Amino acid sequence: MILKNNLKEVRQKNGLTQEELGNYVGVSRQTIISIERYRYKPTLELAMKIAAKLNTKIEKLFFFE
Amino acid sequence: MTISKKETSILIEIFYSVVFALVFLPYFYENQNKNLILMDGLIDIIIQIIISSVIYFAVCYSILEIVFKRKESRDERDNMIDSKSYKLGYLLYELSLFIIIGYFCSQLQNKELLNLTGNHELYNSFQLTDGGIVFLILVLLAFISIIKSSYHFYLHRTN
Repeated sequence: MILKNNLKEVRQKNGLTQEELGNYVGVSRQTIISIERYRYKPTLELAMKIAAKLNTKIEKLFFFE
Repeated sequence: MTISKKETSILIEIFYSVVFALVFLPYFYENQNKNLILMDGLIDIIIQIIISSVIYFAVCYSILEIVFKRKESRDERDNMIDSKSYKLGYLLYELSLFIIIGYFCSQLQNKELLNLTGNHELYNSFQLTDGGIVFLILVLLAFISIIKSSYHFYLHRTN
């Protein structure tokens, strides 16, 4: 099982750039890129911050495949 | 290929370690059979190392601040990458410590061999001066620093 996410789609739907989302949740643009490419698994705190900013549930944003 | 401020600062560290190994280590290599007190120009070399290090890092980081004007904040991914590279560095330091201790033990054993056999040639071939110890430590430090920083850079590019 691999932890995947649809952060890129949800972020684009919300009209946010990687830089803007990173600034909102207090991480760098590189971190957002890494999460979107499944290279980096965020901590629960960061995942919840991202989900809250994108007005979505964490389990819809991050899922196992 | 774009390169971030953090990656550039790691490259500065790697470059410094390589230059240090190429410029200053030959002096210690040439004098490894001497005692520190008998080394010609040791004080000069130490002063050169300190001054050149200070100037190099001051200039490089000043240029870095001018080129990358925006401040890059540290986040959890940076902490993870840092801890992974420090872990590797720590393991390498531990390993090198074992190597040094093993080397010293072999010296003691050679002393015993001298007592038992009286073979001065064998004993002299394994003599270790304090110049040799300094050289060994500096080589290990430079080697570990290059490996650790390279791994740090690799993690930044791939994670």
